[in-house]
Amino acid sequence: MASLAPRPSVDIRVLHLTNALIDGIRRVAKAPTLVVGVYMVTLLTTIPLGIVIYEAIATDLGNSTAADTAVSSVNWEWWEEFQSQATGIKRTFNPRILGFAAVLSNQSNFIDNRLPSKEIVLTAGVYLGIWIFLVGGIIDRLARQRRTASAGFFAVCGTFFFRFVRLGLLAGTAYWILFNLVHNWLFDVVYVAATENLVVERSALLIRMALYIVFGLFLLPVNLVFDYAKIRAIVEDRHSMIGAVLAAFRFVRRHPKGTFGLYLLNCGLFLAIVVLYALVAPTPGTLGSSVSLSFAIGQAYLVARLVSKLVFLSSQTAFFQSQLAHADYVASPTPVWPDSPAAEAIGLAQK
Amino acid sequence: MYSTRCEKTTNNTRRCKLKILEHMDSRPSSRFIRYFVGLTTLCLGGWLAGQIAKTDSVGLALTVEQPQSPQTGEVIGTPSPRNANYSIDVRLDPGRRTLTGRETVTWRNIANIATKQLQFHLYYNAWKNTQSTWMRERLLGRGNRLHGRTEDAWGWIEITAVRLLSEDPVAPVNLTQEVRYISPDDGNLDDQTVLAIDLPNQVEPGETVTLEIEWASRIPKTFARTGAIGDYFFIAQWFPKIGVLEDTGWNCHQFHASTEFFSDYGVYDVRITVPQGWTVGATGAENGRADNDDGTTTHSYHQEDVHDFAWVTSPDLIDLWDHFTHPDLPDVAIRLLIQPEHVTQASRYFEATRKTLQYYGEWFGAYPYGHVTVVDPAWQSGSGGMEYPTFFTGGTRWLAPNDVATPEAVTVHEAGHQFWYGAVGNNEFEHAWLDEGLTTFATARVLEESFNPQFRAIRFFGGFVPWVVKDIPWSRTIDGDRVTGYRRNARQDPQSTPTFQYWPGTAGSITYDKTALWLHTLERHLGWETLRRGMSAFYEEWRFAHPEPADFFRAISDASEQDLSWFFDQAHGEASTFDYGIDHFTSRQINRRGLFGEGQPSFEETSDAGMFETTVVVRRYGDGTFPVDILTEFQDGSEVRETWEGTGHWKAFTYVRDAKATRAFVDPDRVLLLDTQATNNSQTTTPMGERAAKKWSLTWLVWLQDLLLTYGFFI
Repeated sequence: MASLAPRPSVDIRVLHLTNALIDGIRRVAKAPTLVVGVYMVTLLTTIPLGIVIYEAIATDLGNSTAADTAVSSVNWEWWEEFQSQATGIKRTFNPRILGFAAVLSNQSNFIDNRLPSKEIVLTAGVYLGIWIFLVGGIIDRLARQRRTASAGFFAVCGTFFFRFVRLGLLAGTAYWILFNLVHNWLFDVVYVAATENLVVERSALLIRMALYIVFGLFLLPVNLVFDYAKIRAIVEDRHSMIGAVLAAFRFVRRHPKGTFGLYLLNCGLFLAIVVLYALVAPTPGTLGSSVSLSFAIGQAYLVARLVSKLVFLSSQTAFFQSQLAHADYVASPTPVWPDSPAAEAIGLAQK
Repeated sequence: MYSTRCEKTTNNTRRCKLKILEHMDSRPSSRFIRYFVGLTTLCLGGWLAGQIAKTDSVGLALTVEQPQSPQTGEVIGTPSPRNANYSIDVRLDPGRRTLTGRETVTWRNIANIATKQLQFHLYYNAWKNTQSTWMRERLLGRGNRLHGRTEDAWGWIEITAVRLLSEDPVAPVNLTQEVRYISPDDGNLDDQTVLAIDLPNQVEPGETVTLEIEWASRIPKTFARTGAIGDYFFIAQWFPKIGVLEDTGWNCHQFHASTEFFSDYGVYDVRITVPQGWTVGATGAENGRADNDDGTTTHSYHQEDVHDFAWVTSPDLIDLWDHFTHPDLPDVAIRLLIQPEHVTQASRYFEATRKTLQYYGEWFGAYPYGHVTVVDPAWQSGSGGMEYPTFFTGGTRWLAPNDVATPEAVTVHEAGHQFWYGAVGNNEFEHAWLDEGLTTFATARVLEESFNPQFRAIRFFGGFVPWVVKDIPWSRTIDGDRVTGYRRNARQDPQSTPTFQYWPGTAGSITYDKTALWLHTLERHLGWETLRRGMSAFYEEWRFAHPEPADFFRAISDASEQDLSWFFDQAHGEASTFDYGIDHFTSRQINRRGLFGEGQPSFEETSDAGMFETTVVVRRYGDGTFPVDILTEFQDGSEVRETWEGTGHWKAFTYVRDAKATRAFVDPDRVLLLDTQATNNSQTTTPMGERAAKKWSLTWLVWLQDLLLTYGFFI
């Protein structure tokens, strides 16, 4: 319990949104275990399907000399043959996985609302379920800005898991509406009507890009509200997720420049990582048989993306904490040590 | 730092507010963030600009000079029979999207039978409603994709008058009431794509008859590469076109979803009236232009010895010229009608056309016309990638990377059709492979010769944004001969089935892909020079005529001086699949165990030190047969190559040598390209399959992890 005692170094000051980002980066940098943890979750979740693909390729190649070329570069004759006879998850083993094309493919399918195969959907469901469990402990750790040890971390995870399942149902409903109704309306109705008699491809591309931005304007606020709902739930120890969503909405409404600006800054960080990967992304062909190096670069990119995701949460947490109003503002019962970081912070501030 | 300020409220409680006293000194970190954001934006913008610049980096190598030789529409060399000649006047109403036309058809009976009936194609009626044969077959093959078609998107053609003209001073005979629709292929009474006109008298062999036909038609929103969108009109299969009378009767098929066309050669004089200022391109050479008082312009075109006529008009097309010259081939003027957004790709279109004229001319024979027109189709017009005599459409994208063969591949293919289809007029209803397959094969050859290396592009974000996969160079066999399509439909109809009777959706695989693969197999089996000689002889013999498949097979057999019927019977006559593989491959030290010796044999168990017994079993998994080589390699660098006629189900080869075998191959030179399971064609005693599987599964893993992170957006 001593390790959970507050320390006097917490600094709650109003943060300009750029400093919120920096503070967020700092908080993540001081929590390397979080980074390692979420990376391991990401890796381990994919291993079962990875084994399926491994077995499929090994079986298909067998003792064939086709493997000799496949080791050192791309054996397109074999790969095309494999693809043309593949079923199920094996159909995802196609040139879209190569290097930066993988990133483009995933982003493109996401923004174009193309669902992957059912095996991938199932894996993604498991992955998101694990994140729902972990995100409570992650935000708590980032909010407290100090080690919480595994006991404290998982205690918070457990405490908030079912709350976040409820929050997830709310979020799932909102995203379903966005991706199935709004997205379909924009791209299956508006886009089709706008381009029906268009004969200039460049114009169609600009229309599509504009609709992506419009969709983003719907998506961004929803994502933002649910981010702050999670944060408020943790920081203020809220039990009602509907209350957390409403409180998050109020917070975003009161601080539009800060919240949206910080979100866009985080998006910029994400884009920088993606661009950097685009420049250095290896492919098995370019690196020859150097599997380790190719895989390592890919994992480094994924770690950077995970860090970016954690920075999203931590910078938003930092910003929210910097905007805390008076102690009576919180909706929960009077905070008593050591219930929540808010109580701890406010208590320290009033000393 | 905070301070607390409290005040009393009306109900005697205290309300406290935290007041923010200090702000962090934000200047250094905010400056850092600004630099960071700026640098990121610059990098992103630079990368994007680089992508766009790369696609447009082909300079605008335009030439607007006039063609070196005046175009006349005359043919080079011996003319065709010219038994179906047309003089057509047509007016386009772009607002109502209609055509009004009148044609004079002069037809000579070159068959050995008389006829009292003429049959005409009215292709536009295929798009009149869902009951036509074309529509029914299309819906069967592709499902219902017509739900978006509004009332004005359909097309039709209606004959308004038919008159029989005579050279004698006799009034034309009105035959308008003698016309009726017929359905010779499937008896579909709702199909109106074939019109029969009964004549008052027979037309004997050698006799000529002249008809004047008037019609009105509605241009559809594009079906089967003809139609209109916006101000872009691509007009093909638009006039009543007479069928082909053969010794067995009329060959005038209904319009089917999986086939193209067939008609006789003749001379075309066409006068096209369109709004002033609109560019017109067409089959043939323009030999006149006159502005009319009603704000229209009439463009006159003339072309000899062609079997079809198509045209395009739009106010947006840019008109460019170039030319083809060769020391041993006739000059050809090349006209390019290109969309404004693609104008930086003009030189790519010209170069692809020149290469086709060069290689086809060198390999098969000279292009018989002095000019060709290339059309860059409007986006969403659906008119790209189609051939007409002396006139064809290409196709490209606004973002078209230089190291991806777009527009080159489609341009070479459609330019190649000027030879196989244009000059050699096979019946595309029944033997589409004779032009599509030969062209696909030759296109792959031209691309390999001229545009190598090239790569594939994967398109994202609605198909607009290309990403070039530099790890996978274009392959003549896989991409050029299109083995994927063949493999998918290898067991569908035999190629010898009339094309219009193929199962819907499979014609492409059987006509394009399968033919290219068996031609490429013949190239490797006979040698390119032999095959080329045969194809050249076929081209020269059947120029401006209508060959049958047997004519092609005979030409190749004659050139090879072999009877190749065993091959053509399988590749063309059956839906056989070919698959040879190494079924068993071992190489072990020789062990002797058992009873040896004469008289009273004794039990022995010995091994011949340093001697290995290698067993290679080759198996035929498919039903097609083809002679194949078997190659076995040994550790000492030696190898053994044997030939198997391939007719049995399996054959074993055994070798006793002082070296262990390392690898065994069946068809090591990949002669039999119809064998679409290449992976089982070899085995090795030191397999690397698991290592390759590790490499590729880890690569795949990175993709999956990235995908999960993308969906992590929701958490």
